[in-house]
Amino acid sequence: MTELNFNKLNNLFLKYKGRGETELVIPVLQEIQNIFGYLPQRALEKMSRHYNIPLSYIYGVATFYKYFTFEPRGKNIIRVCDGTACHIKGARSILKTVEDTLGIKPGGTTKDFKFSLEVVRCLGICFLAPVMVINQDYYGRLTPEKVKKILKRYK
Amino acid sequence: MIKRVEEKRILMENCVAVNLKTAEKRIFTSKNIAFLKRRYPRLKLRTGEWLPFESPDASIEGYIKKGGYKALEKVLKMKPEEVIKEIEDSQLIGRGGAAFPTGLKWKFVFKQTEKEKYFVCNADEGEPGTFKDKVLLDQSPHKIIEGMIIGAYASGASKGYIYVREEYFDSTRTIEKAIGEARDKGFLGINILDSSFSFDIKVVRGMGSYICGEETALFRSIEGRRGIPEVKPPFPTTSGLYKKPTVINNVETLANIPHIILNGARWFKSLGVEGSFGTKIFSISGNVKNPGVYELELGKFTLADLIYGLAGGIEGNRKLKAVLPGGASTRFLTKDNLDIKMDYKSLKEAGTSLGTGAVIVFDETISIPRIVKHLFDFYEEESCGSCVPCRIGTKRISEILKDIIEPATVKVGNLYGTDGANMNYLTKLKDIGMAMKESSKCGLGQSAPDPLLSSIDFFSNEYLALIKKVNGRKS
Amino acid sequence: MEEKVKLTIDGKEVEVPAGLTIMEAADSIGIYIPHLCYNPTYKKFLLPSSSCRICVVEVEGMKNLIASCSYPVSSGMVVRTNSERVQKARRVTLELLLSSHPMDCMTCEISGRCELEKVAYELGVPSSSFQGERVNYPIDTSNPFIIRDYNKCILCGRCVAACAEIQYNNAIDFSNRGFRTKIATAYDRPLQESTCEFCGRCVSVCPVGALTEKMRRGRGREWELKKFTTICPYCGCGCTIELNVKDNKIVKITADPFVGINEGSLCVKGKFGYDFISHPDRLKMPLIKKDGKFVECRWEEALKYTADKLKELKERYGPDAIAGLSSAKCTNEENYLFQKFMRAVTGTNNVDHCARLCHASTVAGLAKAFGSGAMTNSIAELEDAKCILVTGSNTSEAHPIIALRIKAAVKRNGAKLIVADPRKIDMVRFACIHLQHRPGTDVALFNGMMNVILKEGLQDKEFIKNRTEGFDEFKKVVEKYDPQIVERITGVPEEKIIEAARVYATSKPAAIVYSMGITQHTTGTDNVLTLANLAMLTGNIGKESSGVNPLRGQNNVQGACDMGALPNLLPGYLSIIDENARKKFADAWGRDIPAKPGLTVVEMMHAARKGILKGMYIMGENPFLSDPNANEVRKALEKLEFLVVQDIFLSETAEYANVVFPAVSFAEKDGTFTNTERRVQRIRKIIEPPWEAKPDWQIICLLSEKMGYEMKYENPSEIMAEIGILVPSYGGITYDRIERKGLQWPCPDKNHPGTPVLHREKFTRGKGLFSPVEYIAPVENPDAEYPFVLTTGRVLYHYHTGTMTRHSQGLNEIYPQGVVEINPEDAVKLHINTGDMVEVSSRRGSVKVKAEISERPLPGVVFMTFHFKEAAANLLTIDALDPVAKIPEFKVCAVRINGVRS
Repeated sequence: MTELNFNKLNNLFLKYKGRGETELVIPVLQEIQNIFGYLPQRALEKMSRHYNIPLSYIYGVATFYKYFTFEPRGKNIIRVCDGTACHIKGARSILKTVEDTLGIKPGGTTKDFKFSLEVVRCLGICFLAPVMVINQDYYGRLTPEKVKKILKRYK
Repeated sequence: MIKRVEEKRILMENCVAVNLKTAEKRIFTSKNIAFLKRRYPRLKLRTGEWLPFESPDASIEGYIKKGGYKALEKVLKMKPEEVIKEIEDSQLIGRGGAAFPTGLKWKFVFKQTEKEKYFVCNADEGEPGTFKDKVLLDQSPHKIIEGMIIGAYASGASKGYIYVREEYFDSTRTIEKAIGEARDKGFLGINILDSSFSFDIKVVRGMGSYICGEETALFRSIEGRRGIPEVKPPFPTTSGLYKKPTVINNVETLANIPHIILNGARWFKSLGVEGSFGTKIFSISGNVKNPGVYELELGKFTLADLIYGLAGGIEGNRKLKAVLPGGASTRFLTKDNLDIKMDYKSLKEAGTSLGTGAVIVFDETISIPRIVKHLFDFYEEESCGSCVPCRIGTKRISEILKDIIEPATVKVGNLYGTDGANMNYLTKLKDIGMAMKESSKCGLGQSAPDPLLSSIDFFSNEYLALIKKVNGRKS
Repeated sequence: MEEKVKLTIDGKEVEVPAGLTIMEAADSIGIYIPHLCYNPTYKKFLLPSSSCRICVVEVEGMKNLIASCSYPVSSGMVVRTNSERVQKARRVTLELLLSSHPMDCMTCEISGRCELEKVAYELGVPSSSFQGERVNYPIDTSNPFIIRDYNKCILCGRCVAACAEIQYNNAIDFSNRGFRTKIATAYDRPLQESTCEFCGRCVSVCPVGALTEKMRRGRGREWELKKFTTICPYCGCGCTIELNVKDNKIVKITADPFVGINEGSLCVKGKFGYDFISHPDRLKMPLIKKDGKFVECRWEEALKYTADKLKELKERYGPDAIAGLSSAKCTNEENYLFQKFMRAVTGTNNVDHCARLCHASTVAGLAKAFGSGAMTNSIAELEDAKCILVTGSNTSEAHPIIALRIKAAVKRNGAKLIVADPRKIDMVRFACIHLQHRPGTDVALFNGMMNVILKEGLQDKEFIKNRTEGFDEFKKVVEKYDPQIVERITGVPEEKIIEAARVYATSKPAAIVYSMGITQHTTGTDNVLTLANLAMLTGNIGKESSGVNPLRGQNNVQGACDMGALPNLLPGYLSIIDENARKKFADAWGRDIPAKPGLTVVEMMHAARKGILKGMYIMGENPFLSDPNANEVRKALEKLEFLVVQDIFLSETAEYANVVFPAVSFAEKDGTFTNTERRVQRIRKIIEPPWEAKPDWQIICLLSEKMGYEMKYENPSEIMAEIGILVPSYGGITYDRIERKGLQWPCPDKNHPGTPVLHREKFTRGKGLFSPVEYIAPVENPDAEYPFVLTTGRVLYHYHTGTMTRHSQGLNEIYPQGVVEINPEDAVKLHINTGDMVEVSSRRGSVKVKAEISERPLPGVVFMTFHFKEAAANLLTIDALDPVAKIPEFKVCAVRINGVRS
């Protein structure tokens, strides 16, 4: 893993000005996750000191929301939808195909940090069930074969 | 008798993506695919792939050309009380599931003497099976913005928020771009259209939490806190975002506003039936041939018309087993209910609810206990954990269902049910379900047991068959 | 007229004020609704979270059941609190909760006061009929004070609310969600790796056994413990504590939320620092040094030996060759008797105590400015001040309970906090302005602020005209202190000085809170006079929530001063050179009172060193660690011909004694303490002392008798009765009157209710006196050889010389050794990292100590505590004295730092 450059946080702190207001917490966390791909502990400690917001509070907020992650993620984030519509259209087998092809379980990351896998519920594209999203690309009406082909396209 | 149901496209701009089986025919009203391919070079119409797109009328120029922002111009010449009266007269009720009269909500906030008021659009759309708001956000972002500005003017709010769920990242981009366009044209900001009214909107992204679709949890989320719902009272109209008077409306509700202002309350009441005026966008999915969103007049058609008429019937022409008529947190309807008229009152009388208008259809190949287990896996994960009945209740129900359906995966094995008492499982499920319904702190806990309890009422034989198998294995 | 609401509960009609909850309305007519996560006792402190759903009731017309703890009543409401439907829902909810709760009530420490146990009993639910996964967290016993068993946690959130909204500490919060929700510190670290200060408030509010005190484990069931109320022996806050006792042993300490100045809050010392009482090293028998070794002996022998020796010294060298150090930790009655012994029996005014080392400047300074040298207002009033100026006080660590009031003022009432301190202390978290001035430049800083106030016309002209004198002289001096000049002296930017001045002058009422950072200088008296000037200038005195508030250190240092354990003052602050005063006491005691003022603490050491002082009687003091320039103190003690020490442990000073008397702790005798807000409060004998140890007042009486002066008292209340006659401000203090709640002096007669606010209509001396004060630099300043400023102070976990805290197992475990705080800039130049051993040396001595790199001190300044004899800061400090108050300059001396090659 490369050395994290925490100086990027300085610009972030300039963009969001304040001291003690909780409403900064989520946007700042979102940006930290955008910058580093996850929430490094040192970044949160710096955030707590800078904004005078207790670290236990920031930790409590970050662990509540599924979107925030404390572990480094892969370059490509795969999100397989398991909403009700996708579920009855075979989301489980799509998920299993991804799991078997990449050797990871939901929440996990491949050893080469190429892929991370998540299960989400309802991407709002139920009429194309079963659906998965890789980064910002949608793929619908999937079958296990299509999944394998799609995965090959990502480096 | 299955009627031929006419779609009424008032809220939705184009015929939305319904079914890509015949993609070339249905995805756009424009029959000129070549034009579209020029306009959207990245658009791929190959089956199995779909890229997010904006409707050509999502841009502000397109919207204005079709009469957009005229309602706002009209409203700025009216008094807030007059605007509220118009919406009240139309009897528009909230389209997000709670069905609260919109005009009344605006009036409550209008009456508050507090200077700082907020107007929030709930675009979290977390209810499984619901995808109508995404379509509106993608295709008619300006209509929603216009609806918000009008609502803010009427209720006296000066700051607005649109809370979009994290999974709708492309829709977020669309709405942010639209807000920028509206600001440039002077529809948002200080002294809108040279009036004394100032209002601006901020987009807030969710972070992956279903409970943040609940209004008080949504406010806490915007405030930068954990999304834990609060007890009501106080209600959002007196103490909402930042503990100030707040109007919170669903996306679809807001999409109705410009139309009502321009065409009048009487026009709105000419659509639909008593108690359910206007149109509703239904999201239909599951085992149907043509899943998608359909905008239809309320009360003018039955469930059968929707499933067999519009959505083309069950896949493979199989038999219908059950329907969740208003999203996952509603009671099941069975084939005995196909004649129900699709409006708020009729569904309530039938013991269920129109909810968000998300109709999920299950055919005879689906095991109902498995579906309920799938739903409770969802509720268990999404429970905020604040109150005992829901936090522990969803977990226990989930475990019982797992024990019935996938006995090998249960950590604490051998839960209930041996010694011949096959009904023990069902009694336990009913007890927990009822306790959750009665005592939970918020709507999630109160409504989650509905599919469970109704499934036990109508499909107990499926449960018993599974339980028998489990007990047989154990003895 | 208060709005009333009529409603029906269980068929009974009731009318209550609007705004009440259903539970409160039911309670008002005697209907009990079972509840768990919300406890009405805590109504004032913690709002209901409505998360247990046990208190649900049926309300006609509402679809679901309603949580009665938070739902407001409305007109015409019909409520059923115990219908079948409600009962069933409660049972299932409780069973769900129990299905995830360990059922080990038989060995659970909380059994007997567990609120879950209570609800299960009330609803008749012995166990859960639901099975399933339980949480399985490892029980955290890694810190010495609090055991966290989150398997028992019901997630009521009271601990989170207490830590955030009562303590303003936010060490813990909810984390995760759903079934996996857990109360956790940041990153779920152990408590000692978070901001937790182990105040134990979370333990006191926890309804179940999730949070318990480690020290009570296995020591007694809840119903076996008897509770006794007394006052904490540590600091000048004077918190009310309850000793929970079984079989003459203290099992735990609790605090009633409705009693005392602390309202249920404690600090780690008060809550957990009591085990020194039962430490095996407690002195049990009198000791006499024979052939260089201590030998146990009987009281008769020890007392006779001491009396004979003192008489001998008195005859040979005169009474002024003997000196006594009274104890600011002992009771008022004991201090009174001690100074009476020294004056009437020994015949000398050489009596002093450690107030000399801490607030002698206050006594001298405020006596000059106002006529009375005590805190002018009360602790509770701080919460309602609009502005608080905290200077020279690390309040969060030194007076945690007073700090809570200041934090509440800021957080709850929007008060503005200005902190003036060379270190970035914890209070800065709450401050809107931090003036980080160089140590010793206080006069310049505050004169600078007053300069701005005068220039901008923000002074209180009415007050100055009617209530003060000496303004013109004072004004001439202050006009010289332009903020620009002050910036050069103090290092504080001009803009900040101006801002602070404006905020203080325009936010009314404004209170000044100060402590050692102001007093422990060679200009200590001047510093105090400057603060008095500042308060008078803005009219911030003589009314609620304002004033000049010195925070007294010891639990009874205020009382020791009131009782005249001072070389120049008689009880009640009458001057020793006042003939009438001497006559009054001579008449009462039947002996002449010497007219010459005696030696002060540091002067005593100098005199002993020179061979002028021959004998000392030291009660409950440890000058070896508490006095400056410890090497000189050692030589002084060694040179004495006779030293008798009376204490509960064999302190470092006691090692030099000829005779040691074993005394008892605060829990083993009756008496009174006076806290910093002049409140006289009762301590009680609750447990039996070890072996032959006696209360200090008894020892003094016995010794006095042996010396030929009879002191016969049945019990301390008789001593207080005598004090009441002789000291007017204690005139109305009797044990009956202070049985439940203390009284603040002046309390001149038995009907007087006590005095929360001083100087209301007039000052004790009539008009307040402005003093023109010029800035004078500290005596020893950094130079090429000794380039750093050493400033000394305290930490939360230890108390002064550690006689008590270093005999407390938990406190020692949490904070085992002293450190020297070094600023990161300096650390880089010195090539030092946290944890390195360094040698800190001054012209007087040298100490090896661990380094801690910290942002708190200014560059060029280092900080050490004086709690640890292995790293005794006072080996380095200078014994230069303030000319008026004779207080040493603990806060400034010059040192150098060298790394130590291991």
